[in-house]
Amino acid sequence: MKQIRNFCIVAHIDHGKSTLADRILEITGAVSARNMTKQVLDDMDLEQERGITIKLHAIQMEYKAIDGQQYTLNLIDTPGHVDFTYEVSRSLAACEGAVLVVDATQGVEAQTIANLYLAIDAGLEIIPFINKIDLPSAKTMIDTVKRQVVDLLGCKEEEILLGSAKSGVGTHEVIEAIVKRVPAPKGDPESPLRALIFDSVFDEFRGAVAYIRVFDGSLREKDHVKFFSNGKIFQAEDVGILEMQRNRVGALFAGDVGYLIANVKDVHDTKVGDTITHADRPAAEPLPGYKEAKPMVFSGVYPSNSDAFGELREALEKLRLNDSSLTFEPESSLALGFGFRCGFLGLLHMEIVRERLEREYNQSLINTVPNVEYRVTKTNGEVTLVDNPAFMPAEVLIEKVEEPYIKGQIIAPTEYIGSIMKLCMDRRGVHKNTTYLTPERADIHYELPLAEIIFDFYDKLKSISRGYASFDYDFLDYRESDLVKLDILLNLEPVDALSTIVHRSKSYDWGRKMCSKLRELIPRQMFEVAIQAAIGSKVISRETLSAIRKNVLAKCYGGDISRKRKLLEKQKEGKKRMKQVGRVEIPQEAFLAVLSMED
Amino acid sequence: MASLYLHIPFCEHKCIYCDFYSIAPSDGLARSELPTGRFLEALKKEIELRSTTGSAGVSYETVFFGGGTPSLLSSQELGAILGHLAAKYSIESNAEITVETNPGTVNRQKLQEFRSLGINRLSIGVQSFHDDDLQFLTRIHSSQTAKCCVREAYDSGFENVSIDLIFSLPSQTRDRWISNLDQAMELQPTHISCYSLIVEANTPLFRMVESKQVSLLDADTDAELYELTISYLTGHGYEQYEVSNFAKPGFKSRHNKSYWDHTDYVGFGPSAHSFSIRSQHAEGPERSWNVANLSDYCSKLEKGQLPVIGMEHLTIDQLIEEEIFLGLRSEGIDLSSFRTKFGKDLMMEHELRVRDLLETSLAVVEKGRLRLTSKGYPLCDEICASFLS
Repeated sequence: MKQIRNFCIVAHIDHGKSTLADRILEITGAVSARNMTKQVLDDMDLEQERGITIKLHAIQMEYKAIDGQQYTLNLIDTPGHVDFTYEVSRSLAACEGAVLVVDATQGVEAQTIANLYLAIDAGLEIIPFINKIDLPSAKTMIDTVKRQVVDLLGCKEEEILLGSAKSGVGTHEVIEAIVKRVPAPKGDPESPLRALIFDSVFDEFRGAVAYIRVFDGSLREKDHVKFFSNGKIFQAEDVGILEMQRNRVGALFAGDVGYLIANVKDVHDTKVGDTITHADRPAAEPLPGYKEAKPMVFSGVYPSNSDAFGELREALEKLRLNDSSLTFEPESSLALGFGFRCGFLGLLHMEIVRERLEREYNQSLINTVPNVEYRVTKTNGEVTLVDNPAFMPAEVLIEKVEEPYIKGQIIAPTEYIGSIMKLCMDRRGVHKNTTYLTPERADIHYELPLAEIIFDFYDKLKSISRGYASFDYDFLDYRESDLVKLDILLNLEPVDALSTIVHRSKSYDWGRKMCSKLRELIPRQMFEVAIQAAIGSKVISRETLSAIRKNVLAKCYGGDISRKRKLLEKQKEGKKRMKQVGRVEIPQEAFLAVLSMED
Repeated sequence: MASLYLHIPFCEHKCIYCDFYSIAPSDGLARSELPTGRFLEALKKEIELRSTTGSAGVSYETVFFGGGTPSLLSSQELGAILGHLAAKYSIESNAEITVETNPGTVNRQKLQEFRSLGINRLSIGVQSFHDDDLQFLTRIHSSQTAKCCVREAYDSGFENVSIDLIFSLPSQTRDRWISNLDQAMELQPTHISCYSLIVEANTPLFRMVESKQVSLLDADTDAELYELTISYLTGHGYEQYEVSNFAKPGFKSRHNKSYWDHTDYVGFGPSAHSFSIRSQHAEGPERSWNVANLSDYCSKLEKGQLPVIGMEHLTIDQLIEEEIFLGLRSEGIDLSSFRTKFGKDLMMEHELRVRDLLETSLAVVEKGRLRLTSKGYPLCDEICASFLS
């Protein structure tokens, strides 16, 4: 056990985490330079394109250190986005050390800090590594970045490693530091088994594969294991370590990182953060820190073509096998027909799911405007959770409505503080405090309603700070707010899929913008269309879409007829993609109108 | 019932908005160098070739010379073509025989000769009675020539004279368009075709619009002029029997109607289309079209081959689509014959849509036909699309 080092790499997007991982794999010979398509840890197409790691993986390496001894290194990868804070914390919990990568040209970012704090909370030894020192712009920045790191970690400047993962400079030193500074795992090999699930994936042939870190005891094939969270018992079929492929070694011991296959049909039984123990000799307590992954953002997902409902269900079911954070339940909308209310960890997660449904499962989809889950207390004392604005009870029946708040952290150059504060105020944020990482760099803390950041907060933040601000958040609590349901009516018929829940103070503005955006997006029809926004029975805004007056091809003789028919067929295809409410045809883009509303 | 169409691919000048196939002296040839002789030979050959397939027992009710500018041909040349046709096809004695005629290409004598060949209908390309409009459109004639042409047509014994007008020209006002219609009324044509200016791809006008040299009227003004046209002409005793066509009682173009009624037509000449609903082809009614290139056209026929370059066989669904949009564009869909042909009840199948159209007076059911009203015609394509989706 004392020759084992379990570590992870913590970094902001694009600061070079994956590149450093690649170098480490190369140096330890886990993968040859020749076989390496870049960044092996990110193996989904989507991840490579977005340059972010979505699913966690781990890899074991053998390394002979300068001290002449042989070490086993386990690199556990962590997802790099705010939506996945809990998953990150579980990966960190499986390690004793973390390499903190900071881009020499960018400095410390919100995400770096958020993940770093998680690592510090988990009691990890931190090895700071300033990357990209060979870039020309690094020269002027490097001392500032060093100072930031020293301030942040309270470490000595000599403890900071410098290098370039891309060219390999300084990466050997990183591995040596891991061996020297990261403590060996502690744990009792004789105690009852306790193994932490830090990730799980679905294998078409083997079912759920749990990626685990053994803390106490040992795990062998044929053992009967029990999952703490649900008490279910399975027999271990295949136990091994994680190299480039799974390597079946038959047993794992305290300190080891590896996998378990136990004929588990569903990844929902191998929950991230859960503890595995033996059925016949169970541990008294699970490992700390387990939480149910809870969806925070909800959206209606409908097939563009209403006949494709069954297909969409199949696609979602398949996707869920691999993504235990995705939830979905059938729902129906007058405007959109049959579809699903899906729950996501956050906006990025929502986008990933949508893209995977479209690309991997070939689905053509309509998404409704995303929303959060509201806690509604009715006048009769009944408390319900509302994840679809259409189901918000009538105002007279509501005692109070609570909405989720988050703790947001923004790190940005000081010159942007003013506009960032304005943005946060516009989003109903409550300022907590601002500290300065350096004289030029502020660390701003706000409490914000989650609903206010799921639209375009991040894009806005990026644009007002010219891309320099970074953002991280974590769920805080539910708070009472003066929220109202805003309905959209087309020719007096409410369009359920366009209902939103907004703060009363913003409802007029919101209604006006919605109406004017819809007027742009809905094509003129054969009759006039009144577009109204209403709260309850009170209309607060109205736009009129005038009727189309002429649409006819002037000439249609012998040679024109085929051409004309083809034109109409095209038009017909266009209409098929429209949804009909009453007599009004609505294009699909309209259902996401809110996302493209201008201020 | 069936029709014959002949495409005469010559023009004195190519107008900026026109995308029909023709060649003109400005394309690098002197007028005397246009290969008229070669074309006429090829056309004769095509008439012979086509007559051997499927024309037996069919009698032809209309003949239409279009183009191009068929009136550029001499009366002898036109007479020869009619002779070839008569030798190979059974043309009814009261057939409607039309020649598209451009002002400035004919005189009284030539018109008299046309009349004596049995040609009984002229379709005169007036386009506008304003000289600056005509200049914009790069027509070769003046307003005066146009008026003169129409009067001479009557004087030469024609009783059925149609004129073409174009509206929604750039910067055209309501008053100017009314003045065009007023001047048309003075000439008392039996038939008027009024087209809203279409900007066809691959025309000089298209490029002028693209490069913002010319700006078109906005959609609402175009709609207004069209609505005005309908009410003006129907108020002056013309019946609208198609989106752009208006006729005095008894003067609807039988040839036009043959297209819209889905009857057979045989087209000769480059770019001409043919259609056979009775086609014996297993895949359904056949529509085919000739190559739109004069020298390819001639070469093919010189080798004894038909100059057909494309064809399609309509599926039953396509046929239904065409029946619907051709019907709605013109005098309506005959509901009982629709049921007989396709075994479907249009009114039942589109119950809500039809009820909507009737309630909003965009359509009426009249003499067993579902037809658009003058309020419905401007929305014809919108209505058709709603039927097809």
